[in-house]
Amino acid sequence: MDLSRRDLIRAQAAAAAAAAANVTLPTQAQNIPLGEELRLKWDKAPCRFCGTGCGVMVGVKDGRVVATHGDMRAEVNRGLNCVKGYFLSKIMYGSDRLTQPLMRMRNGRFDKEGELQPVSWDQAFDTMAAHWKKVLREKGPEAVGMFGSGQWTLWEGYAASKLMRAGFRSNNLDPNARHCMASAAVTFIRTFGMDEPMGCYDDFENADAFVLWGSNMAEMHPILWTRITDRRLSAEHVRIHTLSTYEHRTSDLSDAAVIFRPGSDLAIMNYIANHIIRSGAVNREFVDRHVNFRMANTDIGYGLRPENVLEQRAQHANDAQVSHPSDFEAYARLVSNYTLDRAHELSGVPKTQLEALAKLYADPKTKVMSLWTMGFNQHVRGVWANHMIYNLHLLTGKIAEPGNSPFSLTGQPSACGTAREVGTFSHRLPADMQVANPEHRKHAEHLWKLPEGLLPGKVGYHAVEQDRMLKDGKLNAYWIMCNNNLQTAPNTSNETYPGYRNPLNLIVCSDPYPTVTAMAADIVLPTAMWVEKEGAYGNAERRTHFWHQLVNAPGDARSDLWQLMEFSKRFTTDEVWPAEILAKAPEYRGKTLFDVLFRNGQVDRFPLSDIAAGYENRESKALGFYVQKGLFEEYASFGRGHGHDLAPFDTYHEARGLRWPVVDGKETRWRYREGYDPYVEKGAGLQFYGNPDKRANIMGAPYEPPAESPDQEYDLWLVTGRVLEHWHSGSMTLRVPELYKAFPGAVLFMHPEDAQKRGLRRGQEVRIASRRGEIRSRVETRGRNKVPRGVVFVPFFDASQLINKVTLDATDPISKQTDYKKCAVKVVAAAVQAAPPQPSEPDARGGPR
Amino acid sequence: MPEEFHVSSLVILCRKERAAEIAAALSAMDDMQVHGGVPEGKLVVTLETATEGEIVERLNQVQLISGVLAATLVFHQFEPAHSSEASTGGCRHGSLAS
Repeated sequence: MDLSRRDLIRAQAAAAAAAAANVTLPTQAQNIPLGEELRLKWDKAPCRFCGTGCGVMVGVKDGRVVATHGDMRAEVNRGLNCVKGYFLSKIMYGSDRLTQPLMRMRNGRFDKEGELQPVSWDQAFDTMAAHWKKVLREKGPEAVGMFGSGQWTLWEGYAASKLMRAGFRSNNLDPNARHCMASAAVTFIRTFGMDEPMGCYDDFENADAFVLWGSNMAEMHPILWTRITDRRLSAEHVRIHTLSTYEHRTSDLSDAAVIFRPGSDLAIMNYIANHIIRSGAVNREFVDRHVNFRMANTDIGYGLRPENVLEQRAQHANDAQVSHPSDFEAYARLVSNYTLDRAHELSGVPKTQLEALAKLYADPKTKVMSLWTMGFNQHVRGVWANHMIYNLHLLTGKIAEPGNSPFSLTGQPSACGTAREVGTFSHRLPADMQVANPEHRKHAEHLWKLPEGLLPGKVGYHAVEQDRMLKDGKLNAYWIMCNNNLQTAPNTSNETYPGYRNPLNLIVCSDPYPTVTAMAADIVLPTAMWVEKEGAYGNAERRTHFWHQLVNAPGDARSDLWQLMEFSKRFTTDEVWPAEILAKAPEYRGKTLFDVLFRNGQVDRFPLSDIAAGYENRESKALGFYVQKGLFEEYASFGRGHGHDLAPFDTYHEARGLRWPVVDGKETRWRYREGYDPYVEKGAGLQFYGNPDKRANIMGAPYEPPAESPDQEYDLWLVTGRVLEHWHSGSMTLRVPELYKAFPGAVLFMHPEDAQKRGLRRGQEVRIASRRGEIRSRVETRGRNKVPRGVVFVPFFDASQLINKVTLDATDPISKQTDYKKCAVKVVAAAVQAAPPQPSEPDARGGPR
Repeated sequence: MPEEFHVSSLVILCRKERAAEIAAALSAMDDMQVHGGVPEGKLVVTLETATEGEIVERLNQVQLISGVLAATLVFHQFEPAHSSEASTGGCRHGSLAS
């Protein structure tokens, strides 16, 4: 390459970075030639990874994605990209991509004990349909289930919800988002009567202080972290406080790094509430006008199997979700137990740090943005933790205005959009409605043009319960889509894998790659991913954003949407609906589920000619109408006029996403606040209109200890989580060579003194064992994560070191979300003889055999 | 594997009072060039490497420098190392045209 060309590219690169940073370069003006772009076709799409929702530009050449870069016009990231997003173009091109259906076969027939072999879609679907019908006939709707995803597109989640609830009449549908932010979602409803944050990312540029509760944003949400540091640099007074159970990159970069004992965040927050009350910092006017006080049931157990002694012993294991009306005085009495001394004793945090933190929240002139993700949510008291942070913001009135913002971050690109808004949880319908509410079911039946009484009212099995019911033989037909649950479920050798291999059960897994889960399934369906299909996601700040199909999926891989809709053609109403419902509504007789769910005059309303010119759309072509548009518009009818308004379908293909409610073409940045939110009545100032009395709830709850704490034998806390280069279970990122090389195998992060005490050296192979199982790993005493004495950290992306064999399947009893952050383990040199191996082990990672 | 030539750019946010010192440290690396942003504490840096893997390595190194708060990528383009014509291959990750 000649030097002048090298200079030119360098100048372009610098100009792009300067524009993204909003910095004027002192050197000569840059001249950007555009001609070269002509060789690539560029289109917008949201990133495939985390819940931040960055906009990326996707460059396609000869039917292949060859380039991506941060979208300058996307408000979220303004041209920046994190290292995962940077190599996004490669996730679809892993060498082990699945391109045809696989089924366990022996002697040319399906056999659960056979080997996975290539079959046609018809063979796979026929085998599935026969099993589904048998199970429905013999055991009823409660024996079929589906485990979905916060990575599904909006319409995939919506179609799945219709098929499961209205088609098969089962609420045994749950998303992997249950493991991720169920605690956040449940607490939004309990506090505000409506899900999702009141604020948005614009709070980053308006806050005076950022408090990160158990969140390692620099590694997990790098682009949002960049916005925080940008704010920190542009305003001298801004401070960042990071709370964590170990030191990591974010705590290194913060003004205050607060290291607390696992689970003691509850005590810290109650102490801060106590400080606010005792120092006279309660915003009385706000509290009097906008807040109710309630007291939670206490001693609520740990969401383990009911026969577990911890559940037997707990007073309110069966009515954990119940709370009672209360008042300010009772709440003040409760938190008065959490003095500075007590908070210090429980948490181990120096008193000066606790006081500094409390003063931030108490100072009426400091605008505080609180941020959290898995630290709060994956917590046996995750709902309480979420309540307690809202308590602080509600006591001080620091909420629902620019910069004053309790903000729940999410981990998946459509955890908000698909899992929550569309309603793929076992207890939810679209637009925050609940399956247990007869009025809500009736409304859904009406909008879906289905017979009255069709939708089941019983809340279905949640994620962890699905695994238990598979093992116990009560859930027998199971479809896993768009997630890698065998790797990510807790206590997986004892509670997840046995259910997959239970001879009563047929396990189907749809995935682009041969994950651990896919390899343990009986039927594997190859899936189109990301820009291989038209899609829509909803990010953490209520932003709905769309993309077009830009390339074709390889081989016979087809989108989850096509799979769901095509499968529905194999069932008739007579086969799956009760005779008494069909007797009252005979016009539904003899129709396929596809007819009644998707050819209902609404979903099939838009012709293929509505698809924007120049874009492929495989599902629509196969099914004969513009499926994405029809599903979206039907779904949107649930929320329009009810505070969940979405813009017309086509608008989203133009905009870089819009934050709902979108009313009269305008998005809403701060909800509940007059002047920002059109749903607040004129003159009211502020209304938490999700609740009938338009007030939010402050919920009093105590500190309660984790389900399992270190003891003499299992003497260390185990905390699990992610690392920068890999996203969740690594199904996608491990297939990008640059990311794999940067962090190839999981390690055990351990304090040097803990290692020394056990006679372990850095790099030595060790066994990490709990009461449930063990894995081998290598000791890391340096590096980016510095754990305190008594705590070890293991990331969960590595399928060859399944740390979830070790974790405990304890959940928050209210949200049913697993606590992956707290259990007791021991660590010994690998040479020492271990307990006998477990009888049932998930397959190690590997290609199809 | 054919030899390649990778140009990428980064925005590096750092504590303002240390920006000049960090910029000097980055400039001392032979594959890095600092183009500006010292007064703002937002350094605009280009990086020239032979592989994509080195970009990730460099990014990790930069993030561990004391005083650096965040380092993010913006642009990437690669071309065959021994070519004078863009049309012979390679692709761009960066653009201002979007």
